[in-house]
Amino acid sequence: MAQPLVKKDDDRDDEAEYSPFLGIEKGAVLQEARVFNDPQLDPRRCSQVITKLLYLLNQGETFTKIEATEVFFAVTKLFQSRDIGLRRMVYLMIKELSPSADEVIIVTSSLMKDMTSKTDMYRANAIRVLCRITDGTLLTQIERYLKQAIVDKNPVVASAALVSGIHLLQTTPEIVKRWSNEVQEAVQSRAALVQFHALALLHQIRQNDRLAVSKLVTSLTRGTVRSPLAQCLLIRYTTQVIREAATTQTGDRPFYDFLESCLRHKAEMVIFEAARAITELNGVTNRELTPAITVLQLFLSSSKPVLRFAAVRTLNKVAMTHPMAVTNCNIDMESLISDQNRSIATLAITTLLKTGNESSVDRLMKQITNFMSDIADEFKIVVVEAIRSLCLKFPLKYRSLMNFLSNILREEGGFEYKKAIVDSIVILIRDIPDAKENGLLHLCEFIEDCEFTYLSTQILHFLGTEGPKTSDPSKYIRYIYNRVHLENATVRAAAVSTLAKFGAMVDALKPRVFVLLRRCLYDGDDEVRDRATLYLNTVGSDGEVIETDKDVKDFLFGSLDIPLANIETSLKNYEPAEQPFDINSVPKEVKTQPLAEKKAPGKMPAGLGAPPSGPPSTVDAYEKLLSSIPEFSDFGKLFKSAAPVELTEAETEYAVNVVKHIFDKHVVFQYNCTNTIPEQLLENVTVIVDASEAEEFAELASKPLRSLPYDSPGQTFVAFEKPEGVPAVGKFSNMLRFIVKEVDPTTGDVEDDGVEDEYQLEDLEVVAADYVMKVGVSNFRNAWESIGPDFERVDEYGLGPRESLAEAVSAVISLLGMQPCEGTEVVANNSRSHTCLLSGVFIGNVKVLVRLQFGIDGPKEVAMKLAVRSEDDNVSDMIHEIVASG
Amino acid sequence: MILAVLFANSEGNILVERFNGVPAEERLHWRSFLVKLGADNLKGVKNEELLVASHKSVYIVYTVLGDVSIFVVGKDEYDELALAEVIFAITSAVKDACGKIPTERLFLDKYGKICLCLDEIVWKGLLENTEKDRIRRLVRLKPPNEF
Repeated sequence: MAQPLVKKDDDRDDEAEYSPFLGIEKGAVLQEARVFNDPQLDPRRCSQVITKLLYLLNQGETFTKIEATEVFFAVTKLFQSRDIGLRRMVYLMIKELSPSADEVIIVTSSLMKDMTSKTDMYRANAIRVLCRITDGTLLTQIERYLKQAIVDKNPVVASAALVSGIHLLQTTPEIVKRWSNEVQEAVQSRAALVQFHALALLHQIRQNDRLAVSKLVTSLTRGTVRSPLAQCLLIRYTTQVIREAATTQTGDRPFYDFLESCLRHKAEMVIFEAARAITELNGVTNRELTPAITVLQLFLSSSKPVLRFAAVRTLNKVAMTHPMAVTNCNIDMESLISDQNRSIATLAITTLLKTGNESSVDRLMKQITNFMSDIADEFKIVVVEAIRSLCLKFPLKYRSLMNFLSNILREEGGFEYKKAIVDSIVILIRDIPDAKENGLLHLCEFIEDCEFTYLSTQILHFLGTEGPKTSDPSKYIRYIYNRVHLENATVRAAAVSTLAKFGAMVDALKPRVFVLLRRCLYDGDDEVRDRATLYLNTVGSDGEVIETDKDVKDFLFGSLDIPLANIETSLKNYEPAEQPFDINSVPKEVKTQPLAEKKAPGKMPAGLGAPPSGPPSTVDAYEKLLSSIPEFSDFGKLFKSAAPVELTEAETEYAVNVVKHIFDKHVVFQYNCTNTIPEQLLENVTVIVDASEAEEFAELASKPLRSLPYDSPGQTFVAFEKPEGVPAVGKFSNMLRFIVKEVDPTTGDVEDDGVEDEYQLEDLEVVAADYVMKVGVSNFRNAWESIGPDFERVDEYGLGPRESLAEAVSAVISLLGMQPCEGTEVVANNSRSHTCLLSGVFIGNVKVLVRLQFGIDGPKEVAMKLAVRSEDDNVSDMIHEIVASG
Repeated sequence: MILAVLFANSEGNILVERFNGVPAEERLHWRSFLVKLGADNLKGVKNEELLVASHKSVYIVYTVLGDVSIFVVGKDEYDELALAEVIFAITSAVKDACGKIPTERLFLDKYGKICLCLDEIVWKGLLENTEKDRIRRLVRLKPPNEF
């Protein structure tokens, strides 16, 4: 009996050692591929070679153009074989090789033959291959077959055509959109997957037609949906319809009952989708939330990690807006802290940190301490951020939370993690006065052994700002001066600046700081010596106990009040010349990142759906553009250019957006136009503006656009005069007028005669916020104090019933168009009051600061106290007028 | 979109990698990220027990099947639950193709068939088929049973 057992073991060893692809080499496999050309094909051998080619491709190996072409031509020969297994391999291989347009022709006839074959499976596969390798022209030839395939009785054929449609919609939407009747029919299919694919395609075809989507949802929610996957899609589309629809007269939300009924579906996937949809409804009430939370709670103790993850992820999101609704799940979530899957544990912890109450903080921190040592940095960062918010929510607990942060700061960790901790400590010091001294000492200890230059310099800068204001500034000097001895030049230079700040701000320390600064004059680095020299000569009084001049302090340590990105750009653009660089020429507007840049890379462009948004939206580019137009050249300095506002809906014939340019006495509207019709050329394009609802504006000039060819954006301008320095407001209606000429898209020939036509655009408004520029200040309190109470105006306003405090805050911010400071635009969850700080520059270059204090009572009535400080009493009054009339 | 399907052996060597809509320069990063994720978490995990992670706005569901680790990465509509469905289809099809829980050798022996199964399950980032019986018939160019 023993003998065969041993033998078996031997076999297994051999088996493990030998891989069919051992020592595989691309060159050799390509040689082997010559068997595809044999007159007597050996299907088995050919399949083996294809498998090897697939193995190479799946390992990330690439073929050169010549290699790919050779293999492709050889593979096409295999269509001669009738072997079914080989044919299936051939289909896959052609897709993997994705031949170029000029090669495709070789294989089209074979595939077309298969596509009209009586064997269903040949048809299905041929459709998939053809749609993968084809271009628009071939598609029109096979469109008829594809439409038939969509409604084919065989579900595999129908699905192949439908999924092809989903892919082709990205490249040739105009063709796929013609199939909507067939797709509509397929949605009613009895085959579960066909229905799923058809629903996805139909929705994509009609996604810009709200009424059609609403009809689709209405009919399907009443009928039967066969697969859980399709049901999930339906739930998603339903929430889209709910978002766009208003509540009914009885106050019920349309389709809520449908979502609620899905919570009882037998497929977990559907239950989750419905629960998630409910939790994400706008202004969801507690009554609506409860059933969803209940099912999610059940999943927290599921044996499947995916379900636990999905449940805790959803609850984590809910906790951001409705923490009280999630508290019932806290016990289940506490048990997840020890979950083996660290993603689940992290989500559970951060949810608990959001929902926990003041009394549970200490217990929670104990649990987290054990947990932190065995998770990765990326999870730790999430936890640190959650602890920061918790501390801001329960400031009395700062001691234990700050201790926790300082403990983890001493442990091992990468830059991002350490930065998150330092940022958190800095925010806590700023917001919780009691935490200041304790927090500063933690930071001082950290820089004693900090390997990150960036963090050391940041902390030194922060110490320079906050340290002198503490009760005993001298205790920080030792930590700062140690840096001068022990660190690299960048940190040493930062330490010198910080020392000088202490010297300038704390008169008693000045003589001793001067002694230290003098030692820095012998440093090996230029920058360090230069800084020390500068400070020793400017902070003044030769180190005696005399107050430093205010102008000197402002010059050395005051805020520039200019965004650093702007000053960087201006300095790069500055060419050495006789004229020195003028800091006043740097634009003060905070540039927001254009939306397009935030999109994930690699996202497919949505065909013609998204018209290009005109020229680059930077202030400099606009200024250049406008000054190049003679009619506008004497308007003076451009004060502000607003973000583009769309005047047409998506996917219309002509896409137009407008940019408002504000000057002291003028306003210029720049209309960015795009013609999306290949068969048309527009000439002499103007916008006729009716300013009857904008009494203070008088039209001055208009600059038409001579020619607007297909898909090549152009601009037309209209300028208005307005009273100087007055924030005049008004509404303007717009009509696009042009001469349209027919174009032959194939030859590009334009007909000589054109027809005059008009196209109605949306209205446009100039509002008070257009006269305020978003200009941030680095330290609001300092700025507020330095502007002084001379022109301060304070008043109280009732904002009426509001959805939430956050909504009221963001409404006032957008009404005023000012820059929120120090993150005060974010309202803590469930808070009953909030203070928001705004800063900006009013037209005429008048600095203005706003302090808004909000309070909300039971029936969601919001009251607001508005305090404005500016350099001009008229501007302070005007800010109040904007709020009063808004 | 299903961004990636990746198979690796127990040493972290890639057996199959298929990306959809992931730029070529990001693939290497994803490959090493996934392999590290597997090395950190898959030790001692039972066959077909699903693990889940999220990295920024992307979800990852992964598991082990015999000598082979399987990773599926998705975003948007392909969240952790949809990916669980995808990976379930993949593991059933692989088991079916191999006839049992695969060793690395067995997996490589059935490599061609497994590629065909994957082709039926995921097509350019979209889920196409889920049932193993149907997939088994489709790779042999036979119509599904229910038809």
